[in-house]
Amino acid sequence: MSMFIQNLDVTAFLRQQASDVFQTMVAPEVGPASNPDGLHGQERITGIVGLGGEQVTGAVYLHLPLSFAEQVTRQLLDLEGAEPLDEAAVNDVTGELTNMLAGGFKSALCDRGLVCAVSTPTIIRGTAYEIEMIPDVQRTSVPLSAGTHPLLVEAHLKLG
Amino acid sequence: MAAKILSVDDSKTIRMLVAKAFRAFDCTVLEAGNGEEGLAVAERERPDLIILDVTMPVMDGVTMLTKLKEHPELKRIPVIMLTAESGRDNVMHIARLGARDYLVKPFKEDQLIGKASRIVNLPARRGPAAAAGT
Repeated sequence: MSMFIQNLDVTAFLRQQASDVFQTMVAPEVGPASNPDGLHGQERITGIVGLGGEQVTGAVYLHLPLSFAEQVTRQLLDLEGAEPLDEAAVNDVTGELTNMLAGGFKSALCDRGLVCAVSTPTIIRGTAYEIEMIPDVQRTSVPLSAGTHPLLVEAHLKLG
Repeated sequence: MAAKILSVDDSKTIRMLVAKAFRAFDCTVLEAGNGEEGLAVAERERPDLIILDVTMPVMDGVTMLTKLKEHPELKRIPVIMLTAESGRDNVMHIARLGARDYLVKPFKEDQLIGKASRIVNLPARRGPAAAAGT
């Protein structure tokens, strides 16, 4: 069930925001995924941007298969397939995409009186990690797909 | 003389996208990774336009813009703010600080060129560099 914050449907907002970010920057169609565990067991990369304010704290997460993050990086930076790909470039692109997602979400929260600031992005890489929540945090998970690639957008929020 | 455009962003990706957007035009794109570096480059190079990110480590874009507007010799340099935040308060805050315009991320190259070309002259680049897109 989706979380609502003052008429803001968090799931629908994050789905639309992710679609806007990917379509504007790299043009793949992003839509809902039928399999919510599509990333399970895959080598992946996660961008994290924190949200902090008096009435709301939390973070926005963008989980991507590493292979898709590399493909997006090559596309954005106009790199040919044979050119070596710098790990830092993939981190930077993933961080920036997460920043765009989180920035739009932050604006939606601020427009509803939940004034907050965003952090600069951080990155996690690996195959078998989980992000646990501390008590009183509400988690919204939005499984998506871009072609054959599964994506996952999450918001972890603590209100009040 | 070709316009000098300063791109200030902590993301190398965004700096590369900005540089790529201006490749077809006769201008020079300078880069800085945060507000502090941006002020130093602005002082040294006196750019015709600054494209400035809001959220950056060391010195953010709002602080850099504030310092720029306090500087007697740099205050007239027009600034386009690049922000991931489209909220009313954010946009009004940016306008009050004296930014000429703003662009919300994600953005397309032609949106950036459209806004920049209203501020600086951007003639098409001639010669092999333009043909190669470099």
